Amino acid sequence: MLPLFGGDENLSVDMIPVTLNGTKVSAQPGMTILELARENGVDIPTLCYRPELTPIGACRICVVEVEGSRTLVASCHTPVAANMVIHTHSPKVLEARKVIVELLLASHPDVCLVCDKANTCELRKIAADLGVGLPRFRVKKRYHPLEDVSPYVVRDLDKCILCRRCLRACHEIKKADVFAIAYRGFDSKVVVDQDQPLNKSVCRDCDVCISLCPVGALTKREERFKEKKGPPLFIKA
Amino acid sequence: MNDAPRGIEVMHKGEGSLLTLLKEAQRRHGYLPEEVVSELAESLDIPVGEVYGVASFYSLLSTKPLGKNVIRICKCVPCYLKNSQAILETVEGELGIKPGETTKDGKCSLQLTNCIGACDRAPAMTINHKLYVDLTPRKVIKILKRL
Repeated sequence: MLPLFGGDENLSVDMIPVTLNGTKVSAQPGMTILELARENGVDIPTLCYRPELTPIGACRICVVEVEGSRTLVASCHTPVAANMVIHTHSPKVLEARKVIVELLLASHPDVCLVCDKANTCELRKIAADLGVGLPRFRVKKRYHPLEDVSPYVVRDLDKCILCRRCLRACHEIKKADVFAIAYRGFDSKVVVDQDQPLNKSVCRDCDVCISLCPVGALTKREERFKEKKGPPLFIKA
Repeated sequence: MNDAPRGIEVMHKGEGSLLTLLKEAQRRHGYLPEEVVSELAESLDIPVGEVYGVASFYSLLSTKPLGKNVIRICKCVPCYLKNSQAILETVEGELGIKPGETTKDGKCSLQLTNCIGACDRAPAMTINHKLYVDLTPRKVIKILKRL
C-alpha cells in the first residue's frame, strides 16, 4: 500500500550526500557541518557557538578539514554542500585546535585555581580535553581593571576571550545592544557605550550574557565566590 | 569649542554612512569628542557602542584631542622590515612622547598607523596627511625640525 503522506520520500530526495570521517551520511540542505556532526554523534568542541545565537566563527575551535578547501573551515557557520568530504579529527585539525587554544590561553590570565568560574569554565574544559597545559607563547597579558560598578554584573575583561556571545545574546535575545567591540587587534575589547564601566538599569533582571559567558569574564554579583552547581569537569582525552 | 555647526546632517538612518560621517566630524573638530559620537549614534539610530567601536578601530580617526601636527608612522610589515622601528625611536626621542600621546605644548601627536600604501618606498610616515618616504633617522630629524 502506498504511504498516505509522501513526506519521507520528498525528504530523501532533498537530502545531500556527505562523507563524514569516512562514513557516508546524508544532510539536509542549509545545515551546518557542526549540526551534521552533532546529529551523527561526532563531538566537535565549540566556544563561541551557541545553538540559540547566530554563528559567527570567531573562536575557530570548531575548525574541520574539508577536502579541496584551501584552509580549514569553521564548522559552526559553514553549510554542508553535496559530496563534501569532511574530517573532524584528522591530525591537521587536532594540531590546529591545540594551537588555537594555546593562543587563547597565551593572553588569558593564569588564575584558573582562584577563578570564580572554576570547573564550569568552557575554555578550561576544552584545554583539558585537547591536552593543552602551559601555553608555549609567553606574551604580555591583557590588563583591564575589574569593573564592579554595576550592582548586577561584574566584568573582568582580562579573562574575556572575545567570543562575542554576550554581544549577540544582548542584541538577539534581550534586544538591548549594551555591548560593542572597540579598538583593534590585541587591544580589542568588549565595551559599553564609549568604553564606560557597565552600569545600566536594563541589566537589572537580565543575566543572559552572564549565563552564556564561557569564561569568568562576566559574573553575577550576588553569586560571586559562592558554590557552583556545574557538572564536574570530565576530561575525555 | 568649535564655531562650526556641530550637528552633522544625516541623510539615512543605519550604519551605512557611518564612516563617512565620522570622517566629516573628525575634519570639523580635529577629533571625535564624546558628545559628537553619542549625537551621531542617536541621529543614525544605532547603539553608541557601535559608533565608538568604528571610531576606535581606525587609526585615522581619533577619540582623543590631537596636536597641531599629527605624525603617523606605518607599523605594517614592509616598513618594519625596512627598520621602521628606528624611525619610531627617533621620533619618540626627538619629541619625548610615545605613540598615542601628544606633546605638552600641543604641537605634535605621534600615532602608529596601518599600511599607508607606500610599501615600495618604505619606511614611510605621514605628517598631517603629507607623505614622507624612504626615511632614515637623520632625515626624520630634519623633517621634525622644520615643523
